[in-house]
Amino acid sequence: MSSFSLYVDKGTWLHKLHPYTKLLYILVAIVIPIIGGNLYFFLITIGISLGLLICGRTLRRALPLVAFSFTLIAVIFLVQGLFYHDNETVLFQLWKLTFYKEGVLYATRIGGNILNMLLSFAVFVLCTSPQELVEELEKSGFSPKFGYIINSVFQIIPQMMKSKNTIMDAQRSRGMETEGSVMVRVKAFFPMISPVVMSSLVNTRERAIALEVRGFGRKNPKSYLSERTKYVGDRIAVLVLIMILAAVIAWRVVTCL
Amino acid sequence: MPVITIDHLKYKYPGTDRLALDDISLTIEKGEFIGIVGRNGAGKSTLSQAIIGLVPQFYKGAYGGKVLVNGVQADTCPVAEMCEKVGLVFQNPFNQLSGASETVYGEVAFGLQNLGIPAEEMKQRIEKVMKWLDIWEYKDRNPFNLSGGQMQRVAIASVLVMQPEVIILDEPTSQLDPEGSEQVFHVVDQLTEAGFTVIMVEQKMEKIAKYCNRVILMNQGKVVDFDTPEKIFSRDDLEDFGVTPPVFTKACRKYGLKRPDGTYPVVLEEAVSSFREGGKQVETVIRQKELTKSETVFTLENLDFAYDTTKIFQKLNLLLDRKATAIVGQNGAGKTTLVRLMKGLLKPGAGKIWFGTEDISGKTVAMLADKVGYVFQNPDDQIFKYNVLEEVMYGPLNIGMSEEEAKEKSLKALELMGLKGKENHNPYDLELNERKMIAIASILAMDTDVVILDEPTIAQDYPGRQLIGHMIQVLSEEGKLVIAILHDMDFVEEYFERVIIMSRGKILFDGHVEDAFSQDAILKEACLKKPYYTELAESI
Repeated sequence: MSSFSLYVDKGTWLHKLHPYTKLLYILVAIVIPIIGGNLYFFLITIGISLGLLICGRTLRRALPLVAFSFTLIAVIFLVQGLFYHDNETVLFQLWKLTFYKEGVLYATRIGGNILNMLLSFAVFVLCTSPQELVEELEKSGFSPKFGYIINSVFQIIPQMMKSKNTIMDAQRSRGMETEGSVMVRVKAFFPMISPVVMSSLVNTRERAIALEVRGFGRKNPKSYLSERTKYVGDRIAVLVLIMILAAVIAWRVVTCL
Repeated sequence: MPVITIDHLKYKYPGTDRLALDDISLTIEKGEFIGIVGRNGAGKSTLSQAIIGLVPQFYKGAYGGKVLVNGVQADTCPVAEMCEKVGLVFQNPFNQLSGASETVYGEVAFGLQNLGIPAEEMKQRIEKVMKWLDIWEYKDRNPFNLSGGQMQRVAIASVLVMQPEVIILDEPTSQLDPEGSEQVFHVVDQLTEAGFTVIMVEQKMEKIAKYCNRVILMNQGKVVDFDTPEKIFSRDDLEDFGVTPPVFTKACRKYGLKRPDGTYPVVLEEAVSSFREGGKQVETVIRQKELTKSETVFTLENLDFAYDTTKIFQKLNLLLDRKATAIVGQNGAGKTTLVRLMKGLLKPGAGKIWFGTEDISGKTVAMLADKVGYVFQNPDDQIFKYNVLEEVMYGPLNIGMSEEEAKEKSLKALELMGLKGKENHNPYDLELNERKMIAIASILAMDTDVVILDEPTIAQDYPGRQLIGHMIQVLSEEGKLVIAILHDMDFVEEYFERVIIMSRGKILFDGHVEDAFSQDAILKEACLKKPYYTELAESI
């Protein structure tokens, strides 16, 4: 395990898009069902996100996220379908449980929102290099220190997790029991966590020195290895997103009149 | 004009009473290769860090005197500015990676980006340095997935691209295997040829003697002497400062083979010439009293082991008696896997492991805790108490010893490891080399029949190495089996009777230490270097 970033460069047009374009997509995908006000808009945005994930060849990596969200959505359907405060109209009965139309509709809206947000974020996270995102944010005036924190999280935390296993082995070698009753596990907690924290602190101090001796604390503007070449796809994508958003706003205005 | 001028430098770390640097004055000329030697805690790293300004800017504390690098005052010029003049590479290769990049190329670029170097110039510098240091082929790899030697070369490249006038190498090979060390010393060769001003802190005196024009000998924060390697290593009182001369110098001193100026040779070639001219031969190395106890402790029978789909051992057979045994070989040879199987930290895929007459293949680590002790490489992986004695007593109490017995054995173990009088110290207040001794003592106090040591000599100076060597002798005399994974061949030659040479999951050699270092083909296959003493004897 060298990084826990979910990004894998598949080289598709979606990967080549500017991170800001993909951030705009998240915004548009979330806003459309809100403006549209109709449950069918969730179908459209979720469909588009799935289509994009297929185009980015990352659908398979998104499936665990979807599977996890379904557990949550199922619970919402159960709770709202049965106990929503405006429940009046019986929709169906399952064994001794009565599901109501109002609760199920409300749960559908929440579920649609969750799935829509999750998939649009998946489009962004799975197809955007964290390093590229940070670099673009820094170019836009974001602090390099915050940028470093974001980048290093993806690189350094997995290494710290590795050292946890070594520490556990070292303590087990001194007769520490890790299996058994709650009391045994509680007793094992301190010998485990203390070396993890202390070695992390030592490493952090050394890494701070390493950063300092490589000019990290300088006040001058940073330079970058490459300037992003303008990608024609960005213009098209931004135009399409704005047109879609405008069309939904227009549709809503017309239907309200 | 000197590139570095140090004038009456004094420094004290915050919260301490002792001066870490005590009235140091010296100058270093451009293009010189300077070595700094001395026991742990002598002030070597502190002096290095004062040159780049980390002392006092990063560590704070009380500071007096002046350090000038090309006229720039180190204590007031921000470190982030000073890094253009002075580059620093330190021991731990892992902690030197910034963690800001997913590729080696990006990692090397990190410093240049901070300096604001234009993209085109950055690319030219990076390519030039990476090709020079032979790491261009790794440019797209994740730096955290490299070996220690490769990581350290990336760290050196990351500093070199910034084109500093002075490069400080603070024990750059102390945590590397022989191959990794050689990779780094190959880079040091290149730096020497290119005429860089280099300052190197190092415990391998043979390397200091090979590269340095002048050597700074430090003790208790003071500069005891600053002279040529020949003069420094010919001092009669050298060992009083925790430094042992190179093996070649020791051998020449023993036979009275002096240079015309009255000093002793410090490098192999000169020592060989002196021996030839003097018509002398070196004796074989005098080792500890050899043991002939042949009672079998461990029997590994047709052992198979794999990590997921990567096979490590296939039908491995091995008998271990009570002779002190060193396991040597490159990283990835299977040394650690082998001892972890014996300790029960790993379970064999097939085959049996016998401890005496008991099959322990299915036993857990905890079940074996009172039989087999295992000292991990990094002491910080186990220390968690705020008192040395309590830390050492943790293991004995876990395996069911009474409070009195645990205390008695812990005190004995601490005395053996040179920590008498430090029982009530906080382990985190002690130096890494002392924490390593605590880790060893905490296993010795468990009074196990077998003691496994993983790289015990890492970060140890000469007195530390002697202490560990003595401990191995004592345990062997008590009839315990000591097994050590080691990269320090001179230490192996001096303190071990039996050597197992491993490569790619196979045992290439298993036998007496003297025979081991005469197996040229096997040593080559396992990428191992001979001990310096053997090298000298063979060259003569």
